[in-house]
Amino acid sequence: MELTKNITLGVYLPGKSFIHRLDPRTKIIASGIIVILLLMIRSYQAYGAVFIFLAAAVIIAGIPPGYAFSGFKPMLPVLTFMWIFQLFLYSSPDAEVIFSWWIFTATDAGFHMGTLITLRVIFLFGITTLLTLTTSMVSLTDGLESLLSPLKAIGLPTQELVMTMVIALRFVLILAEELDKIVKAQMARGVAFDRGNFIQKTKKIFPVFLPLFISAFKRAEELIIAMEARSYTGGKHRTKMKTLHIGRVDLAAILIMLIFSALIIFLILTVNPTI
Amino acid sequence: MKTLIEITDLTYKYRSGGGNAVTALNGVTMQVYRGEILAITGQNGSGKSTLARHFNALLTPGSGEVIVDGLSVNDKKNTAAIRRIVGMVFQNPDNQLVSSVVEEDVAFGPENLGLPQAEIVKRVDWALKSLDLEAYRYRSPNSLSEGQKQLVAIAGVLAMKPKCIVLDEPTAHLDPKGKREVLENVQRLNRDEGITTVLLTHSMNEVVHCDRMIIMDQGLIKLTGAPRELFAQAEQIKALGLDLPAAAQLAYGLKLKGLTLPGNILTIEELVASLCQLP
Ligand SMILES: Nc1ncnc2c1ncn2[C@@H]1O[C@H](COP(=O)(O)OP(=O)(O)OP(=O)(O)O)[C@@H](O)[C@H]1O
Ligand SMILES: [Mg+2]
Repeated sequence: MELTKNITLGVYLPGKSFIHRLDPRTKIIASGIIVILLLMIRSYQAYGAVFIFLAAAVIIAGIPPGYAFSGFKPMLPVLTFMWIFQLFLYSSPDAEVIFSWWIFTATDAGFHMGTLITLRVIFLFGITTLLTLTTSMVSLTDGLESLLSPLKAIGLPTQELVMTMVIALRFVLILAEELDKIVKAQMARGVAFDRGNFIQKTKKIFPVFLPLFISAFKRAEELIIAMEARSYTGGKHRTKMKTLHIGRVDLAAILIMLIFSALIIFLILTVNPTI
Repeated sequence: MKTLIEITDLTYKYRSGGGNAVTALNGVTMQVYRGEILAITGQNGSGKSTLARHFNALLTPGSGEVIVDGLSVNDKKNTAAIRRIVGMVFQNPDNQLVSSVVEEDVAFGPENLGLPQAEIVKRVDWALKSLDLEAYRYRSPNSLSEGQKQLVAIAGVLAMKPKCIVLDEPTAHLDPKGKREVLENVQRLNRDEGITTVLLTHSMNEVVHCDRMIIMDQGLIKLTGAPRELFAQAEQIKALGLDLPAAAQLAYGLKLKGLTLPGNILTIEELVASLCQLP
């Protein structure tokens, strides 16, 4: 069980690709637009278009596709559960029954609903991962800060908010690393996590959580002390090594995003929704 | 002025949940001299880290006084200035690196100081060069060895141009090669840049290379002096739960067996030289 190997969210893969070179603000806004489009999509055709777009982005960014996909592995159980849940729960009056057993009835409407919602989650996760894989923590911080800076006028501590978010993201990684360590330690003591039925497995996992949170919090605290030792006192008075600027690559990216959004909106309007 | 950090009768208690306090420091008086490498050693829980955290105002004294380059740690207004003077490197590099790119991490400190952009770039260049990390500049710390990560952490502190660097067991997580790299670089910065260095460590083989050493036990300073003087008192060192450096341990063992080697032996080189003198 190598959990950290499967965590792609919050990891940065340095590179010099077109996507790496974009201004973080361009990438954040583009991701935001894609998220909004994803929330409106209700047909397989449109998902197909988004898939091609994201796959192209992954290839252009030089991310090994196998690595990009490995990020979904830890989510598989949740996704499966979600899909089954929708399959049996959702139905519409004119839906066709696929099969039924005892009190459970699965309809084609439920099947499509489950599939579409699962796809939506997969794509939302995918776009966030793509953003963090191609944008370093500091660029991400700088970009968000810059985008949120108008909110400073109404007294929101935007720099602190963004820094908190970035640390939370690091926390995900720390948590995964700690979980990995603890699970290994338990396995070395003879706990077989992969054996037994669902309830037995859950019982074995349970004793892992307390040490997990204790050590993860300890590590997070150490990180905060180390930041403080390096004179971090929140956003005030902080300067930046790199200044953001919108260049020609960004204009090209914005153009591509406009065309892509138009295509998706066209698909949303013209293709009959599956559900 | 010879003294950089002056500590007088410092006590510190940690308050735990149950209301009963743990006394971590119990009246410590000590100095850190400008330009020296000072080792602080002692068993687990003897109070080394607690003491060191007063050096750059991460903790404020329970009672007593800590003066850093003329500034009192007791006065909150001095905190920012003190953290510019004394930088701190911790045990686990993974828990102190902030960014996902080496150069950005090194820039974090100077950025916090509010320096102009050109100056930040200059300092990052300089710090990376000083530690021979230029090749890793655009890499992610995750892709480096533990030893290299620790060097990045040191570069991050160096870029703030401190007068003093405190290292809290910087080699504890490293393999022998990483340990050697970190130690050699620390010594070189001390020699070439004149940076006062405080090294907290459990390794007596590291202590040997320091100018002075302090041995702590139960929140108190038990012995202070040059490693050579202190390690000559083998029984006292052992009574405090510490080991001798490997070479000194061997010489001590031989002495107990009735073979007294000539000279006062601390390092492998001295051991070899002494053994060669035997008739
Ligand atoms: N955050 C804390 N809360 C409560 N007690 C603490 C805390 N940190 C340290 N202590 C206690 O204070 C005492 C001194 O701890 P300190 O960490 O300074 O020792 P140390 O010499 O650095 O030990 P080590 O070699 O293990 O790093 C110990 O008894 C320890 O249990
Ligand atoms: Mg300690």
